[in-house]
This record gives sequence, structure tokens and C-alpha cells, in this order.
Amino acid sequence: MIELTYARPTDAADAIRRAADGNAKYLGGGTNLVDLMRETVEAPSALVDVTGLSAEIEETGDGGLIVGAATRNTAVAAHTAVRARYPMLTRAIVAGASAQIRNMATVGGNLLQRTRCTYFYDTDGSRCNKRSLGEGCDAIDGFNRYHAILGASPACVATHPSDMCVALAALDAIVHLRGTSGERTVPLCDLHRLPGDRPDLETVVEPGELITAVELPPSSIAAHSTYRKVRDRSSYAFALVSVAAALELDGDAIADARIALGGVAPKPWRARRAEEALRGRPAEEATFLEAADAELADARPLAGNAFKIDLTRRTLAAVLQQLTEGARR
Amino acid sequence: MADEVARGVPSHVTDDLSATAIALTHDELRERMSGNLCRCGAQNGIVDAITEVYAEAAS
Repeated sequence: MIELTYARPTDAADAIRRAADGNAKYLGGGTNLVDLMRETVEAPSALVDVTGLSAEIEETGDGGLIVGAATRNTAVAAHTAVRARYPMLTRAIVAGASAQIRNMATVGGNLLQRTRCTYFYDTDGSRCNKRSLGEGCDAIDGFNRYHAILGASPACVATHPSDMCVALAALDAIVHLRGTSGERTVPLCDLHRLPGDRPDLETVVEPGELITAVELPPSSIAAHSTYRKVRDRSSYAFALVSVAAALELDGDAIADARIALGGVAPKPWRARRAEEALRGRPAEEATFLEAADAELADARPLAGNAFKIDLTRRTLAAVLQQLTEGARR
Repeated sequence: MADEVARGVPSHVTDDLSATAIALTHDELRERMSGNLCRCGAQNGIVDAITEVYAEAAS
């Protein structure tokens, strides 16, 4: 039995004060952290339950939305303004996990969930640099069908598991943080780190810092967006590859695009090279495939996941084709 | 699950996100059962049973 304390504060200042102890963890819906505690990957001495903090979705006044970090994933997906103005976000959320998990999981927790790399969870039998820095990685030469082709390092090839974060990366979402030294904001695209030689450091969130909200900036292009997830079974499975994309046409040409990829990298992967390769070009399959190739030029497959390169390429082209046809209707 | 449908919560297989009423098609039921029930051989029968109960409740 592992002893720990539990508190459920009702204001952020109290939560931050309680989490100042170095081995405390904020608890959202518990859909990942509780699993990690059961597997002894995580062993906090204190849980600060933040589900009593802001769970509101409000207009920002400039056409955007601000989502309290304790908002449940289902509430975000079902929100009328999210469905109308940021459909890729609703699509991404409902593609993830199961209804029960989405009903429990919070927005803040979704951002901070950890990889589902099986070697990371296997505390008894596997080496993992993320769990125990310097001991090695059994995924690199192991069963790595689900692992990264972009942004990985010799120390870690794990992927970020979130669907929601992929849409948030494409939407240029802004993460609001609050700590003992005040408040700050970080673009979602800069929240997660690449592993390099420190795969144990996954985000730029400081110890004790609390995610208070996620802001969706106003975006006209986001109203014409979608999310497609490719997985081993059609429901309740993590992504092999996923694509969040928004497209704006000017006649037959692409005026602008926003793209992020999931299932292929240690973080939600904003595909800026692909976006650049699309702007001003004809909205047709050859362009879409060229854009995918531009993004995938640096892809480094492992023994078990080389299929992801072509799968990403074809999925991205198919999503852009779908958005093009939708815009022409 | 019935409550979520009544509230218009979309699922992965909902085509029109602007729709306020969700048609309980075979695919909608299967997707919404995911996580509630296993993908066993009895699933088609369970989908039919749920459809029947919904139809009775609606009439």
C-alpha cells in the first residue's frame, strides 16, 4: 500500500499552493494518471484534484473560445460553437478513447497524458529511458508498430497518444498556465518537447504549474476542417496515423491550410512544411502528395513502422481531397 | 448512452455536426456501444435489441 494525500480545492490559488510539494500531482479525470499509479510508473505523494476548477467554455470577445482546463472532453466535443467553428476539434475528441473515458477526461489532463508505449508501462520487464533515464530503450529494437517516424531520438521513439492535441496544434491553441510566480501562456505547439537525450521531460510545464485553460484563437479557416484517424480497429483504439486539417480555397488554388499529424511523433506534429507546400498551388492530388512528401522528408522509420510513411502520405492526401470537395459543394 | 443521444452529443460516425437530432442508425449504435460492450459475436443481436427498445420508447 502506497500512502498519499488527496484534496479537492475549489480555487486555483489553493490548488497551486497544495501542489507546491515536489511530489504532488494534479488529478483530472484520472483516465491516465490512475492507470500509471496502478502500474507504479507514477507514485505521487499527494493528489490535488482539479476537477472542481473552471470547466466553462466562454467566448473570448474576439471570436475565439476559452475552455477551462477542467472541462470534460465530451463537453468540448458537444459544444455548439466548437462544432460550428472548430469541427476538427469535435471530430478529434470523438475519435479518441470511449464515451466513458471522454466523459471523465479533462482538457488539461488530455494535454499532459503520457505515451502508451508498452515498454514504458512494463516496469518489471523492460528498459525505458522515459521512466528511468539512461537505462536504454527496448522499443527501438522491439515491437514498434505504434512508434514514431518523426521527431524521435536514439533515446526514445514513443508517440504522444492524444487525438485532441493534434487538432489543438493545427488550431494554434494557446495554453494558459499558472504557478506560484504568476500566469503565462504557451502555444500548444510549444507545450510538448521532443525527446532528444531527455525523454523524461515531456512538456515545458514547470513543476507545480497548473494548466488553467486552453484558448482557441478566432480562425475563419477552422470552420472548414476535419480530423481523420487510422487505427487497427474502427473504435476505441489509438491512432496509427491521424490528420487534422483545415483548407481554404481561392478558386482552384489553395489559399491557406492548417495541418497537424498524430500517431507519428513524440508530440502533436504541426506540419508547417506541408502547409507551405500547399499555399498558392492547385488543389489537386499531385499537390497534396507533394505536400505530404515535404513533411515526411525527414521521416526515420523503425523496423515495425515503415508503413506509417506511406499511410501518412495517403491519409493526408485523402483528407485534403475531402476538404476540397466539401469546399466546392 | 440514451441520454447522450437525447442531448445531441455527436459521435465518431455522426456525419453532420450541426444536426441537433441524432438518428440512431446501426453504425451510431455500434459506435456508442464501444467501451460499454465487447466486440463479441452477440453484438448484432444486441444492436437489434437496443433498436427495438428505442423504437418502443419512442412510440
